Amino acid sequence: MRRLWLILKTDARRHLKSPLTIIIYIIIPVAMTGLIGVIFAPSSGDGTLPPIRVVLVDRDKGLASRLFLGAFDAEQVKKMFQVTTAGEAEGRAMMEKGKASAMVVIPERFSLDLLEIKPVFLEVVKNPAERFLPDITEEFVQTTAVMLSAAVQAFEPEARGVRAMLDAPVDAFPWEALAPELGKAQKKIASAAKYLDPLLLNVKEEKTKAAGAKVNLTRTDIFSTILPGMAIMFLLFIVQTVMRDMISEREDGKLRRMLTTPLRPSELIGARILGGWAMGLSILLVMAAFGTMVYNAHWGPFGYFLTLVVVVSFWSAAFFALMNALVRNRNQAGVLSAPIILGFSLFGGSLMNPEAMPKAFRAVGIVTPNRWFVDGAAAVRDGRFPAVPLLILAVSGLILLLLAVPALRRRSTV
Amino acid sequence: MLEIKSLTKSYGDVLALDHFSLELKKGEVLGLLGPNGAGKTTLISILAGSLRDFTGGVSFLGKDLFSDRSLKNRMGIVPQDMAFYEELNAADNLLFWGGLYDVPRADLKKRAAEILEMVELSGRSKEPVKNFSGGMKRRLNTAIGLLHKPDLLLLDEPTVGIDVQAKVSILDLIRKVGAAGTGVIFTTHQLAEVEDTCSRIAIMDRGRILAQGTLVELIRLVGEKDIVEITGEFAAAAFSEALVDLDGDGVELLSASDNQAALAVSDTDRIPKILDRLFRRKLAVTDLKIKTPNLEAVFLKLTGRSLRD
Repeated sequence: MRRLWLILKTDARRHLKSPLTIIIYIIIPVAMTGLIGVIFAPSSGDGTLPPIRVVLVDRDKGLASRLFLGAFDAEQVKKMFQVTTAGEAEGRAMMEKGKASAMVVIPERFSLDLLEIKPVFLEVVKNPAERFLPDITEEFVQTTAVMLSAAVQAFEPEARGVRAMLDAPVDAFPWEALAPELGKAQKKIASAAKYLDPLLLNVKEEKTKAAGAKVNLTRTDIFSTILPGMAIMFLLFIVQTVMRDMISEREDGKLRRMLTTPLRPSELIGARILGGWAMGLSILLVMAAFGTMVYNAHWGPFGYFLTLVVVVSFWSAAFFALMNALVRNRNQAGVLSAPIILGFSLFGGSLMNPEAMPKAFRAVGIVTPNRWFVDGAAAVRDGRFPAVPLLILAVSGLILLLLAVPALRRRSTV
Repeated sequence: MLEIKSLTKSYGDVLALDHFSLELKKGEVLGLLGPNGAGKTTLISILAGSLRDFTGGVSFLGKDLFSDRSLKNRMGIVPQDMAFYEELNAADNLLFWGGLYDVPRADLKKRAAEILEMVELSGRSKEPVKNFSGGMKRRLNTAIGLLHKPDLLLLDEPTVGIDVQAKVSILDLIRKVGAAGTGVIFTTHQLAEVEDTCSRIAIMDRGRILAQGTLVELIRLVGEKDIVEITGEFAAAAFSEALVDLDGDGVELLSASDNQAALAVSDTDRIPKILDRLFRRKLAVTDLKIKTPNLEAVFLKLTGRSLRD
């Protein structure tokens, strides 16, 4: 154990004596995040997003659909969405040309079904090229749908009454009959005023809150979204750079010399893996700190984030321990590692939003650490414990470690 | 102190060590002389514990070398490679490598300072090793093997690729270490190095020891004969045939290859007779050198080839 710590201490000292590579690997992801963030973030001075372009297709043209469309006319919502009403074909054409982020389709019989208290479906067509903007639209539609649905259920008898009147011809619409229905509704509202008034306010408030958290996406939010992907990509590069020492030492005779001392192969292997792990962990935390300092990026609960960082650094160390045990020499490691890391990054969502990827890419992405780290970081940012990403990274990391140790032992002697 | 018994190691079909046996006493400096591929590095690697899959045994200080890990503390290795961290300074390298042995922490710094003084690097001990010359690096490489005061020091070609001054310094260090009671085995293919440094010399080729003893004992193996090296335009077979009846008449054919041959002659008076035989057979001679008996002659006699081949 004493020798293991001696190796770790000496390695740290060596890397600190020539820290340029590590500094570059820290600076690049932070700088790239800044660049990407600036491109995708709003340029307005208040740091909010420009209006999201939404196409509304109303196949129903009924009472409820008008009510639903009216939600987009609210003053606050108008700041968020730039709404165009169009036919479905026209709407799809606009999306394909990149002129809209999402299209909301209100189906035929929407109003009638709603008044009959039947389940109805609103369709949100998203444009993946617009990254997270369609998601914001979807959330807004969902929130509005919840509100509308709740309102209809609360006023079910009145809704049924109104529904019955709608069967009459327009000319013969019994306006006088509508008055008692409205009167009943008014009484209901009055009697439940204590609950409904704040409920209505709450609904409206919640809608704003639920959507607003994303609608008011600032550059900070965008940096927080991009940085984990960048960080994991460069973490892999750093860990491999550090762990490539294993091959250099094999080639230049240091490994042989070490094994002529009382040092045990297990101590050496342990030191190498722990060294890569510790380096990855430190660098990722430094990157996160940089992200917070430079972009005010938020990471969510620190404990969750730290756990995720510990596990993904472990995975990286185990993976490169195995890879370096299998390759013949430094050149081979160099040739292999860059495409592997870039492949992980491409399919795993470091370079592109996974939602914007073709299905096949996304399927490949699940075998990359990038994907699980990015997913985990997103969960932590939302305040959730990233159980699934952690489990997958920890279990696969352990498997890699179990494969790496005997391979490294074999490599320690000729 | 060290007893090697019938070590055999092969790489595929190539036999690197062929029932190799050797003994070394305390304070003895043994030069292991052999051409490239003789098996010297294989032997050192086995003794250092970095090669497996061999047969035979090694006893060190009365114990089995390969089953008692603590013996590694009693042995110092100086590999052919410059095996240290170039980005660290000499002192830090010594503290790291010394730290891998069971040297008490308190002694380590003191020993590092002593050994740096011994290899004349104390003035540059805080400088990154990457700034050192080849000779300084070799001296540091040697110093690392000595830091823990081993009973046995193994050096694998410690003077490769360095200037004369650095070579003299390292050979001097080896002599001092031997004089202080450490047993030393050092491999080389430089005859002059072993002639000047070693108390005993072992000549090995193709994985076996061909002869061993002091320099005087080895030279006696070729008797008082001079060595005649002949260069010309001839085939090996024709050369051997031309001199066949002179064998036993004070002329001994040591080696013959196309255009080059070596003979041991009891008297240089035999040379005209030799040349006469060659000219009669129309074998052209372009150069002829006469050498008095030395280690190279011994090597030539024992292996049938020059150490440089």
